[in-house]
Amino acid sequence: MSDAALDYRRLILRIARPSVTAPPSLIRWTLRIVTLTLFGVATAIGVTLGIGAPEISPTSVVHHDHVASP
Amino acid sequence: MRPLGHTATTLLVLVYLGAALAVLQGFFGAGLPVHFGASLVAHVSGMAAGYGAAVMLISMSRAPWLERGVGAHRLARWHASGAPLLIILTVTHASAAVVAWAQAKSVGPLSATADVLNLPGLVTALIGTAILVLIGLASLRVVRRRISYERWHLLHLLTYLAVGLGFAHQLAGPDLVGRSWLQIAWALLYCYAFALVLRWRVLQPAFQLWRHRLRVEDVRRESKDVMSVLMSGQHLDELRAEPGQFFRWRFLTRETWRSAYPFSLSAPPTPHRLRITIKANGDGTRRLFDIPTGTLVFAEGPYGVLTRRRRRRPRVLLIAGGVGISPMRSLFEVIDLPGKDVTLVYRASREQDLVLRHELDEIAERSGARVVYLVGPSSDAANDMSAHALNQIVGGLSDHDVYLCASPRLASRVRDSLMDDGFPRRQLHEERFTF
Repeated sequence: MSDAALDYRRLILRIARPSVTAPPSLIRWTLRIVTLTLFGVATAIGVTLGIGAPEISPTSVVHHDHVASP
Repeated sequence: MRPLGHTATTLLVLVYLGAALAVLQGFFGAGLPVHFGASLVAHVSGMAAGYGAAVMLISMSRAPWLERGVGAHRLARWHASGAPLLIILTVTHASAAVVAWAQAKSVGPLSATADVLNLPGLVTALIGTAILVLIGLASLRVVRRRISYERWHLLHLLTYLAVGLGFAHQLAGPDLVGRSWLQIAWALLYCYAFALVLRWRVLQPAFQLWRHRLRVEDVRRESKDVMSVLMSGQHLDELRAEPGQFFRWRFLTRETWRSAYPFSLSAPPTPHRLRITIKANGDGTRRLFDIPTGTLVFAEGPYGVLTRRRRRRPRVLLIAGGVGISPMRSLFEVIDLPGKDVTLVYRASREQDLVLRHELDEIAERSGARVVYLVGPSSDAANDMSAHALNQIVGGLSDHDVYLCASPRLASRVRDSLMDDGFPRRQLHEERFTF
């Protein structure tokens, strides 16, 4: 096996090791934090997108006048 | 199917309420007083389609509270009936919008189409719609039969792209613009839907791969077209999988990594081992027969409500048809009743199709439970699976919880017969798998 392959193997093992040794409570809390962070980010993106959304629709022909708006 | 539980009922009420609000907003968007015409159809169908797309994403996010509260099969059924409606609404919206534009501008349909496509975000929305229509066509029964599950599954994944492509157009649509709070709520709905998908369909299985390092330990042929895959890993007890449940398995080889297959556990899980028993149903599943030992396994789950916790009655009847024996085999081992009043009825066309038979006999001998094999053509009176015949086998059928897993045809026959006979729905537990 080449040196590069050995380095790669060591790196994989280093990343994988905590997965086996970490106690279940630490794993549970990590997952909770990941979930909270993910939904926190989703909230931030959602609010930013909503605030930054156009105020005039490019698809309205005449706004609120029974006409086309695809 | 079991009656709707609290979670499912609450969810349905919320979904219908949201749909009503979206449609109402479509009416307001078209302008008051209500004027019936193409414009109104475009507004209402557009809002309903946009809302429906987000609901579809959430329903297929595999979030555990959804899978446990509603059930994988019921979610799939809702998805299967809601998705065609979503496509129809989207196409209706696009067509009605072009007609309304043509009327408003007094131009022909081709000119109106060109005008509409020149508007910002409309080309991407059109591509999204085209993808949805393509997926819809591929899911028609007559087309679906001709393409492999793997291709269909890959095509289905494009739904996320289609929904994403339509989002910008929705946010800038005339029904939402000028109402900041509504635009924020709409954007949040979509962001949360995608976050749920990312959390439970991507991060969770990736995490499980990292934590449990599930690998194929052994592959054993049970019959010509059925095999068992034994997998080993770390901390598997943390999955809290139960006999009768299933995972969606993705075997990480060059040939098989693209598709995830739902297979039930065929033996009670242990902290270090899981086993499934699968039947070759097509080229994709047949390729699984050649998985080398040591292959990493990406597993989503556990899912399913076919567990011993569903039991309410003092006696249990397990009914398995063909490879439907897989979840029944694991339940058969763990359902623990006083006097072990458990009967397993196992139906197969041929003797050689009775897989795991030695294990079933051994469990029956050890625990005092009973196995009844029904082998041969279904026209044979001895293989009757009607409620009357099942009652003759077990006696006092209404005192039983019935667990059922079989081919769609057999399951439907048994279910219909039980229902016709007045068997209580809440005592029938089943998981249905169809590719």
